[in-house]
Amino acid sequence: MIIFFVLPLLLTVVWSVFERTMFWMEPAFTFFSYENFFFSSRLENFLSSMFHSSISVVCAFFIGFPIAIFIRRRVRKVAQHRVMLLFILPFMVSEIIRIFALRPILSRNGVVNSFLMDMNLIDSPFSIFVFTPTGVVIGEIVSFLPFMIFSTFLALEAIPNYIFEVCADLGVNRRRMFKDIFLPLAAPGLFAGSVFIFVNGIGIALIPTILGGPGSVNAGLIATQAIIALDFPLAMAVSAIMMFTLMGLLYLGHRLFNLTKLLEPIS
Amino acid sequence: MSLRDDFQPKWKLLLKWGWLSFAVFILMAPTFYTVYISFNELGFGAKYYNFTFQWYENVFSDKQLIGALGWTMLLAIITLPIVIPFGLLSAKLYKQSTQKVWIVFVLLSPLFVPADILASALLVFFKNLNKFFTLIAEYTGIYSLDTWFDLGIMTAVIGLIVYTLPYVFVVIMITMARYRNEQTEAARDLGASAWRAFWEIEFPQIRAGVFSACAFVVILTFNEYTRTSLLKGGFDTFTSVLISQMLNTGMSEESYAMASIVSLVAVVIVSAILILTAINTEELEKKTRIVKEPNK
Repeated sequence: MIIFFVLPLLLTVVWSVFERTMFWMEPAFTFFSYENFFFSSRLENFLSSMFHSSISVVCAFFIGFPIAIFIRRRVRKVAQHRVMLLFILPFMVSEIIRIFALRPILSRNGVVNSFLMDMNLIDSPFSIFVFTPTGVVIGEIVSFLPFMIFSTFLALEAIPNYIFEVCADLGVNRRRMFKDIFLPLAAPGLFAGSVFIFVNGIGIALIPTILGGPGSVNAGLIATQAIIALDFPLAMAVSAIMMFTLMGLLYLGHRLFNLTKLLEPIS
Repeated sequence: MSLRDDFQPKWKLLLKWGWLSFAVFILMAPTFYTVYISFNELGFGAKYYNFTFQWYENVFSDKQLIGALGWTMLLAIITLPIVIPFGLLSAKLYKQSTQKVWIVFVLLSPLFVPADILASALLVFFKNLNKFFTLIAEYTGIYSLDTWFDLGIMTAVIGLIVYTLPYVFVVIMITMARYRNEQTEAARDLGASAWRAFWEIEFPQIRAGVFSACAFVVILTFNEYTRTSLLKGGFDTFTSVLISQMLNTGMSEESYAMASIVSLVAVVIVSAILILTAINTEELEKKTRIVKEPNK
């Protein structure tokens, strides 16, 4: 893992300052690729993909966190893992297939629009579900929601049952329980899930390519397009920026919440 | 599975179960829809539904696809015997180590790194390694070194190992968590070698996890596209054929059938593992209850 994972990612920093040649790159010390990234529309695209990913994180929180709390609190201990396993199934179907299949479901003559029109809820079909930023957000939620539920549930699983019993005995209301028990104790899981969705949202090229339409570009797509255009230093600069973003977020999360707590229930 | 009565109205519990089921349904809807369309003779968007196996027949008579299936299977067969022992060793190292943070960081980080970013970094890494080995070949005269890191099966397998190892590690670690090390210590005290203690005492107890990890590796290999497509060199894999068909001609009926085959195989394998695990856990719990409370 050190040779084929850590080393290539660290070396992206070195390769990003190399000079581009016709088909490859040569050793140099230039920030041209970074200038190329930061002083062009690529930065705007990158920031816009960050914005869309943040929306996906917020949506995944509102959908996934109540589900994780429900499984931890209301499902019998022996059945909790079985219910969690339901969310493994979609994760095991290829992401490409799931994203591609969203097109006919969300398109103008797709299942969702047909259903809404059959129910007389709308007069004409919505066209905002695909080839728009909304489509990208929907794709990210469908792709990454299980991870938010897994990581949050893992964090909640580490909370001993007596804490809930004490709260019940003391008559703590739901809002206070959420604010003072669930939210702080599930914070490592929420953070890990959020980082996963955020980073993959700005780094996976497939979702904007299939669901985002012509103007939708993220860091992953910039890197892939740079490789196709044989601009390897630019691709490496984008990879290095992504890597620093990820490392920064994980370091911050670990300092704030100690992310290794997440693995305590399974180790 | 039963609902827990915690002084809450039943309708509220049902509402929460409904929300959970709705989330699972939404996550699975694209898969269900793909399978549904794949059996329609008239394809997507048609007013009527005529059930047919025609598109599946077309898929299985497609030589390019059968070739791609063979290559994908080969990748899975090569990846499995490498990544499973790595996962086992990593899980054992994690259990024994005091530096858990670093092990977790190195092993689970690939989950967080987007596929396109890791694939780009690995592609440039292999191209540089190739140049390095070509230089060594020129100096030493060992010209077989020349092609070591040419894009091909080996580089694709390395990409797959990096991708699947975190999953293997987590699955094996979950099973290993139930294993008590005192059993190995007892076996060693009785004169068993480290290998025999592992093979005859520990492995039978974590076997379910290891086999589940094997299934996950095969499924993930069939699902993987980005890393493999950049690192595979000249041959086609199942997903690369699927994607090229989807991007070039749109979602044809054959594309739906191909996607359905991959999805259904994955869903059936994972469901079988989940059901078997549930049955095993129940039996284990029953046995524990009998030992703890023999009179009940």
